[in-house]
Amino acid sequence: MQDTITAAINPADEKGNYLTGPELDKLKQYFQSGTSRVKAATQIGASAASIISETVAKSLLYGDITCPGGNMYPTRRYAACLRDLTYFLRYSTYAMLAADASILDERLLNGLKDTYLSLGVPIEPTIQAVQAMKEVVTQRIGAEAGQEMDIYLDHIIAGLS
Amino acid sequence: MSIVAKVIAQSDRANRFLSSAELTQLQDFFNNGSLRISASQKLSENEQKIVDEGSKRFWSQCPNTPSNSGNPQKTALCQRDQGWYIRLVSYCVLAGNAKPLEDIGLDGMRDMYVSLGVPLANLKMAMRNLKEVAMGILSSEEGALAAPYFDQLIRAF
Repeated sequence: MQDTITAAINPADEKGNYLTGPELDKLKQYFQSGTSRVKAATQIGASAASIISETVAKSLLYGDITCPGGNMYPTRRYAACLRDLTYFLRYSTYAMLAADASILDERLLNGLKDTYLSLGVPIEPTIQAVQAMKEVVTQRIGAEAGQEMDIYLDHIIAGLS
Repeated sequence: MSIVAKVIAQSDRANRFLSSAELTQLQDFFNNGSLRISASQKLSENEQKIVDEGSKRFWSQCPNTPSNSGNPQKTALCQRDQGWYIRLVSYCVLAGNAKPLEDIGLDGMRDMYVSLGVPLANLKMAMRNLKEVAMGILSSEEGALAAPYFDQLIRAF
């Protein structure tokens, strides 16, 4: 996977260059933002299960999708949905720490939409759930850190759309 | 690969969020971010100086070596490689991880120098001198961040 640091080093090495000027400024900013990234990841990791419960309550729980005939019925599929939402949260937290979305593409989004289509998982409610997750996460970690997480949760939405 | 990518990869393999030990590790890394920047800048600005001064010290300890053979082309190539290793150390300081050195400069290194006929023991001595000169240029805090990668480089030879 790529992260902000590796993404700066690799092209510099291709040219045999040290990191200078704008590349180094970018790393400086990233290092300075590190404390708030670590703080947000700590908060999200510590309350992941409750973030997921609240996300489902906000988006899916009271719709037809949890009733017979819906894609979150029976319990086995409900649990699979919880698991997938937890993946979304975990990988977007990784990407936020790395300040780089590539891990989402590599580990989560590659082939995901096709998989969902072949399993009959409806895309539209999935996207609604990620939208709800953005709100819940922002409530937990604050507006500024929430904006940073939105970048990566929006990347998931874009990858499913 | 940086320390950030490394702890993410190990969390991912275990299917979990980052552990508190890993989060602390990242926090420590970010805390000395400005030292990492200044150390890498000093290595970059002083590369030539480190190589020149390192070579002088090296030749005084080991006069009979390809870079001191009187063939200017050989000297230039040897010193160019030494400069590259300083650059790789600067990448490691920024990445908080030895992977850039290992992947770019150590994997296959022995085979290459053996095939070139450059004695590894001499290179080891040359690298030790590069480290010494670099440590004199970096502050002690910056030096503490760079030293482990120079040591790994020296060990590898």
